[in-house]
Amino acid sequence: MRSTNLRSAFVAVMALGIVNLGFVNTAQAGIVGTDTMISTNRDVHLAAVQAQLNRAEVRAELAAMGVDAAALDQRVASLSDSELAALSKRMQDAPAGGEIIAVIGVVFIVLLILELVGVIDIFKKNP
Amino acid sequence: MIVKRAGAGSVACLFLALVGCASHPPLVESGNGRVELVDTPFYPQRRYQCGPATLATVLGASGVQVTPGQLEPLVYLPGRKGTLQIEMQAAPRQYGRLAYRVEPELSAIVAELDGGRPVLVLHNYGLPLWPRWHYAVVIGHDSQKDQLLLRSGIEQREVWTARNFMRAWDNGDRWAWVMLRPGELPAAPDRDRYLEAAAAFEKLAAPHDAWLAFDAAVKAWPETAVAWIGRGTANYREKDFAAAAADYSAALRLVPGHAGARNNLAMTMLGRGCPDAARQQLNMIDVTALNEAMREAVADTRRQIETKLSALVTPPKEC
Repeated sequence: MRSTNLRSAFVAVMALGIVNLGFVNTAQAGIVGTDTMISTNRDVHLAAVQAQLNRAEVRAELAAMGVDAAALDQRVASLSDSELAALSKRMQDAPAGGEIIAVIGVVFIVLLILELVGVIDIFKKNP
Repeated sequence: MIVKRAGAGSVACLFLALVGCASHPPLVESGNGRVELVDTPFYPQRRYQCGPATLATVLGASGVQVTPGQLEPLVYLPGRKGTLQIEMQAAPRQYGRLAYRVEPELSAIVAELDGGRPVLVLHNYGLPLWPRWHYAVVIGHDSQKDQLLLRSGIEQREVWTARNFMRAWDNGDRWAWVMLRPGELPAAPDRDRYLEAAAAFEKLAAPHDAWLAFDAAVKAWPETAVAWIGRGTANYREKDFAAAAADYSAALRLVPGHAGARNNLAMTMLGRGCPDAARQQLNMIDVTALNEAMREAVADTRRQIETKLSALVTPPKEC
């Protein structure tokens, strides 16, 4: 656990350097982006440094979860500051849609659980 | 044990509902009776790939030709064997589209379908302790039969009763998105949610696309400063400084103390070659009241103004 923390801290620091190089603000310096003003309005404003750290952290986590290195910059660049903040906290447990399993699966699971808790008895055991 | 009982109770309810109790009032209500967006593309998903597949489906419906294979590196997370909601709503920005989260009500989904937009939803087919997340695309409704039509998984046209749909959608916290072209508003736009989507779009969007997105906001909510500021910044990026100044000034008439609008107006004046006027604007900002990021931006603007002033030739007449 400890070595994982150290490792991710190291990765985050390294990534910070890379992201700094790669990050291009689309509006010219001096112009304040509209997203910054919206966060200011809401009082959930993130300092520039914090946003940069979140960016590095999300980038490192994405890499640790198997995202191809070539796609990392593009994925991180898509995210707003508040999305970065949310992702940096919740990447492990946020819902990740992926399953095909649908109604049939649900019916089976329901039957199985009803069986297990003893409400029904359709999966016959040997007498 | 209590937990187990409660679980059994809710499971029993779910079971009864799946078996079917026909005496409920209809959930799908629409003046249109029945809608099916048959032109919506269909991409059968590969295992765990419902994120890229559904995203390609709704992007395709909004005029962006992209395959799930192209989207996979942008949204699929191998370590989670799935796709996160935040990335689902962020990726469309790379393709010039805004993902807008609609109201968590079935009526909002129906309204979007009536408006011709398929709706991407997150379903949970599992149980509270064993969630099974799945993205699908709602492409139609039938208010007579109280049904919804979905592109889902490997099914091109899956018919769902509204009750079952609601169950899976409720368990997934009722997430639903539509894709908006720049300038397009959803059926029942929420001002703050739309502006937030537009502001996140701004960073990646071509200036004209950002302009279209905020122009729609200016028209829908002319009393909202951020809408004018967003359009102003799009104008600034297109180097239309006169239009940018007009938009920032409109925002400042609404909120005279808006430091961001004032700073950007100063930058615009600098862009027009009027550093003196720019400095006047900047001096009106109360720097002590600003947060760190704003203070940095204002300091940067000031540096740029001073550089221009020290190298000044003759300012143009319109200053």
